[in-house]
Amino acid sequence: MKNTVKTFFRHLPHFLTLFGILFAGLLGFFVFSYDRAFQVIIAVSVAVSYVFWGIMHHIIHKDFHISIVVEYLLVASLGLVVVFSLIFRT
Amino acid sequence: MKFAHKIAHLIFPRESNNQKAKLLHPSGISVLAILLIVFQLVLTYIPRIGPSILGYAANISPSEVIRLTNEKRSQAGLLPLTENPTLSAAAQAKGADMLNRDYWAHIAPDGTQPWKFFIDFGYKYRYAGENLARDFSNPSSAVDAWMASPTHKENLLSPKYKEIGIAVIEGDLAGVDTTIIVQFFGSKFVDTTPSVPLAKVQPAVVAEKQSVSPTPAFVPVTEAVLTVLPSQTPAPAVKSDIFISPFSTTRSLSLFVVGILLAVLVIDGVLISRRRIVRIGGRTFAHVAFLGMIIAIALILEAGQII
Repeated sequence: MKNTVKTFFRHLPHFLTLFGILFAGLLGFFVFSYDRAFQVIIAVSVAVSYVFWGIMHHIIHKDFHISIVVEYLLVASLGLVVVFSLIFRT
Repeated sequence: MKFAHKIAHLIFPRESNNQKAKLLHPSGISVLAILLIVFQLVLTYIPRIGPSILGYAANISPSEVIRLTNEKRSQAGLLPLTENPTLSAAAQAKGADMLNRDYWAHIAPDGTQPWKFFIDFGYKYRYAGENLARDFSNPSSAVDAWMASPTHKENLLSPKYKEIGIAVIEGDLAGVDTTIIVQFFGSKFVDTTPSVPLAKVQPAVVAEKQSVSPTPAFVPVTEAVLTVLPSQTPAPAVKSDIFISPFSTTRSLSLFVVGILLAVLVIDGVLISRRRIVRIGGRTFAHVAFLGMIIAIALILEAGQII
């Protein structure tokens, strides 16, 4: 657990950037609750930013590997499936 | 015992899964995503081949929609709108038309504009507007959704409108039981000059202004008209109903799947950290934050659409 906390603080500037991206996306969903098309754009933008953040983060920390990109892509895709299925069911 | 091993293989990092919970492997995440997609396909195509799905039947009173609309207007310092039975009948016809022809739009597939319904019912308008809502469970959430949208709010709070007509119609839209609210706004054309009246239309979406025939065909509004229209919806062939709400079911399943993935991520992250195992992989914090946002979005989104 100690290691996890250490890792978190070591990467804090990167995580703050990611939290900023995610918070902006969440805020966008709330503010533009009436605009489905814009919500779709927000969801795609946040997912792309998340994958891009992951790639840049691992390149900077010199532990980049193609399997990591696949992992970020799959988590982002799962998130998009959830959000799209909800948006198009509203 | 075998079952317990399988569960542990899915959830905990161990030798059998190369020190990473199987659910977090690309194959595990892919399976979860595919399951969600398949569920959506089933939910979409079941009504086309078999039983219809009870979606968003709600008990919404037109008078409550009018009261809430006038409440918003009075808060904005505007005069309240008067309920006009002709407008309500026109709105009812518009709603029945959407159900009969299975469309959800201001303009019908054949190009019929909403203003046709005003004219058909003999409402000679100077200004006319239309707001539509569907799948809301109560009137206040529908009115709040309109107020959150600048174009719908403009209709709701326009000083040009003097009268309002509301229709709340329940029926089958694309195989799902739906409650549609049609909100018609208008102010009558009272100019006595014999020139051709030009109707200035300010709908939420249809932005084009259009001319209207100076002598629209007058269709008297009678009880017969009002009662016949909703019944034009063809009665479904002997079909059984499935009593689920597509939105609520989708939300529950999504929260369940993402919640499980989050829990596995946390368990995996803690165990890997304790065992001081070094492995190639994404940052657990990043995945947890992203999936946390997905859960927050799932909780923010509400059933109901406006156009």
